[in-house]
Amino acid sequence: MFKFAHLGDCHIGANRDPVLEKLELAAFRKAMDLCVQEKVDFVVIAGDLFHANLPDMYVANEAVKKMREVKDADIPIYVIYGSHDYSPNGTSIIDILDSTGLIKKIVKGEDIDGKLRLGVFTDPKTKAKLVGISGRKAGLEKNFFEILDREHLEKEQGFKIFAFHSAISELKPDFLAQMESIPVSLLPKGFDYYASGHVHRRNESGFPGHERIVFPGALFAGYSRDLEDSAKGEKRGVYVVSFDDKVEEVKFHEVSVCEFEYFEYDVSNKNSMQAKKDLLEKLGRIEAEDKIVVVKIRGELSGGKTSEISSSEIKGLLKENGALEAVINRFGLTSKEYVSIKAMGEDVPTIENRLLRENIGAVKVSIEELKGDKGAQLALDLLKILRQEQKLNEAKKDYVERVQKHAINTLGLEDEV
Amino acid sequence: MALEVSGQIIAGKTGQILVREKAGGEIEIGDLLVAEEDGAYVILQAYELLYGSQVPQLVRELLAGMKLEGLGADLDFLEPQLRNYVIAQIKAVLRVSKDNELKIPKTLPRFFSTIRHVTEKDLRFLTKPDNPVYLGKVRSGSKVLDVDVFVNGKDMLTHHVLIPATTGRGKSNLVKVMLWSVLAQDGLGILVLDPHDEYYGRHGKGLKDHSNAKQNLLYYSTNPVPGTNTLVINVRSIMPSNFQGIVDFTDAQQDAISLYFNRFRDAWIENIVRGTDIGPAVAPRTIEVLKRKFDTVLGVYLDDDGNFQCRSGVFSDSAGMATTKEITKALEEGKIVIIDTSRLLDEAELLIGSIISSGIFHRYQRYKSDGTLEGKPVVSVVIEEAPRVLGADVLSARGDNIYSTIAREGRKFKVGLIAITQLVSLIPRAILANMNTKIILGNELSAERQAVMESAAQDLSSDDRTIASLDKGEAIVSSNFTRFAVPVQIPLFENYIEKSLQPKEKNKTVFVG
Repeated sequence: MFKFAHLGDCHIGANRDPVLEKLELAAFRKAMDLCVQEKVDFVVIAGDLFHANLPDMYVANEAVKKMREVKDADIPIYVIYGSHDYSPNGTSIIDILDSTGLIKKIVKGEDIDGKLRLGVFTDPKTKAKLVGISGRKAGLEKNFFEILDREHLEKEQGFKIFAFHSAISELKPDFLAQMESIPVSLLPKGFDYYASGHVHRRNESGFPGHERIVFPGALFAGYSRDLEDSAKGEKRGVYVVSFDDKVEEVKFHEVSVCEFEYFEYDVSNKNSMQAKKDLLEKLGRIEAEDKIVVVKIRGELSGGKTSEISSSEIKGLLKENGALEAVINRFGLTSKEYVSIKAMGEDVPTIENRLLRENIGAVKVSIEELKGDKGAQLALDLLKILRQEQKLNEAKKDYVERVQKHAINTLGLEDEV
Repeated sequence: MALEVSGQIIAGKTGQILVREKAGGEIEIGDLLVAEEDGAYVILQAYELLYGSQVPQLVRELLAGMKLEGLGADLDFLEPQLRNYVIAQIKAVLRVSKDNELKIPKTLPRFFSTIRHVTEKDLRFLTKPDNPVYLGKVRSGSKVLDVDVFVNGKDMLTHHVLIPATTGRGKSNLVKVMLWSVLAQDGLGILVLDPHDEYYGRHGKGLKDHSNAKQNLLYYSTNPVPGTNTLVINVRSIMPSNFQGIVDFTDAQQDAISLYFNRFRDAWIENIVRGTDIGPAVAPRTIEVLKRKFDTVLGVYLDDDGNFQCRSGVFSDSAGMATTKEITKALEEGKIVIIDTSRLLDEAELLIGSIISSGIFHRYQRYKSDGTLEGKPVVSVVIEEAPRVLGADVLSARGDNIYSTIAREGRKFKVGLIAITQLVSLIPRAILANMNTKIILGNELSAERQAVMESAAQDLSSDDRTIASLDKGEAIVSSNFTRFAVPVQIPLFENYIEKSLQPKEKNKTVFVG
């Protein structure tokens, strides 16, 4: 019997706050220790090992030291790019670590007759076969899934793991409904285990032909929403999968580095002064010692400004009471007297989408195509085009021309230019 | 050049004008004819044909007898084309003035005026509207004219569409043709509940072949093809109101559902299935019956270890959390969403339609109240075998459901129905009257034709025979948004789309990973 560990979305380097940064590294160290203790034969990290493709060197160094220990225990670490540590030209920290042999990137592919044929990596010890597709910014990896030569992969014999970093439409949480995702039907069928990443909530599910799709969720926190989820009870950790020629057991191992406390407060029917006083009184009574306290403030103030309920004052109080850190979520807070633009969401595309649709009405234009949902969609399409990256071997001039051409087409200005 | 005369008005009254057909005039039932009036003209339509003769009946009988009995094989009428002829009963359907103003005729065409067959030029007022939904080409009898018939989709879809026809008359072909033209534009969101999995084109040509399909078409199936979505809905997306009028519950069961929902909110089904005790207000027997019902309809149950399980692939406790939101979002973006319900039982299909339709209907109600409805696309729901939810017996036994609510009130909120049925007579007149466009295909059942004619936007009281004689692909479009009941020839979908199909370009992909 063999074993492998599956984790993802470690987002090392995401937290700039020293306390959270320390906890983030602690979670990673604990996860790596767990892999060694469990004597796994290899580790699969399904994207976003780092929060950026060139992360802060201090945290990168700490992570590398820990991975070295795993490597020294003869446990290979297989990785794919996530949407954060992706690099279009192979210059991510992932590539550097791959070059040193510390980790192995299991993504390789070529275009054969218009189809993307992915390479299969075989783990030398277990003979498990690993295939990966990296995540890209704004769900652009979907294009690769659409042309994937699934049949070729489905014919491959042996114990097979498919690693990817994309939300699955059928499995994403409802609050991520607007997030770019791929339908499960784009995954090749018949793999023994689908090692997924990108969605920060844990999910184990399956469909006919795709029996075991597992999202381990974030290891600690890439966003403050992850801390909120943890405070509401979401467990963070690593999957350890036992297998021989098929999966025998899938076991989740919790990786906890601190305690959490969640506090939600509704300001409705109170003015800013009343709400602040009441909130601080209530927060003063909670057990904050050695915990990350997540405070969610929502509702509409009957008067006063939202800024009068100060995050720093709340944080100060909680830290005075021994909290490790306080995370204040005020996105749902509004006031009758004061309206501000709110941005809520898991990722940038979601926020952009929401902001554009909610606020397009404030832009006064006479052209019908620029108004309402049409205008918002046009802006989103344009943003998507402007985000296109330079292809390998593409000259800068050709790249600029290509983006310009797509943008002009999107704007419907072909005849004007 | 003078156009060929087909006949001459010889008698009649409003709605029943008699025309003597010119020999070889080739007037058919359903033919569109024209009587000219000093630059203006009246469009007429033939609905009945009968023989006329100047020769007395006795003489005709004698002549036939002699020929039949071999006593005068060479006998014939003197100037037969003058003495024997066809009388066509026609009605005036539209008057076109010199300045192309269109009016419903309130006077008879001039007595004894000649008539001719309609030409493309006579129908030049049939222009392409905004948000065009294509229905076919104008048909005069069995002759097809090169005049396209479009209806403004926003108008037509919010005011509901009824497609009555018996099996094999081309209902699904028509809907595919309509949806193909919808795919080409923005601003029209369509939810298609597809019990025969025939619209997407899993095995042949279908909506998937449209060049806009990638952007504007979503397909959900329990057996998805690569690139399409698995139909899976999380049980937490289901509200008690979604069952309204779809599944029968007793008063005690309804009360229990309300109590569980109030206590557990979106986890209400899970807790009923678990049999969570909420006190004496709910009898254990009621819970047992509800468990069985949910098992039957949703396939949810507790396994031997007490774990909540979903037997059905469609309803799940771990997947499909965002499905209804994604579908609602797509509809709000003016996309077509096809739900393949071919593997589902009736109740499950209607329940899924109810969940999504309720979602969109209530969102649109909110948009109306906050003044943002104007910018939203029209949304229409295609429902086959409509009497399952709009039938008088169903409504009286189970009360209103979301479909009947949309039929009655949807217009105010830009939500409509495209109801397809073989049995119009089962739908209450009040609902039929709200369906302002009827695309009538052939129907051999007299009672069904009668129900359609009685509720049509134009007076079709004399068209019983015309409807009965409609061949496959032939239809009459009676709508508040057409100036008269337009006979159309619906093209075969495969032929219609042929010219739009373009070979796909193969670009070399640079894979970065």
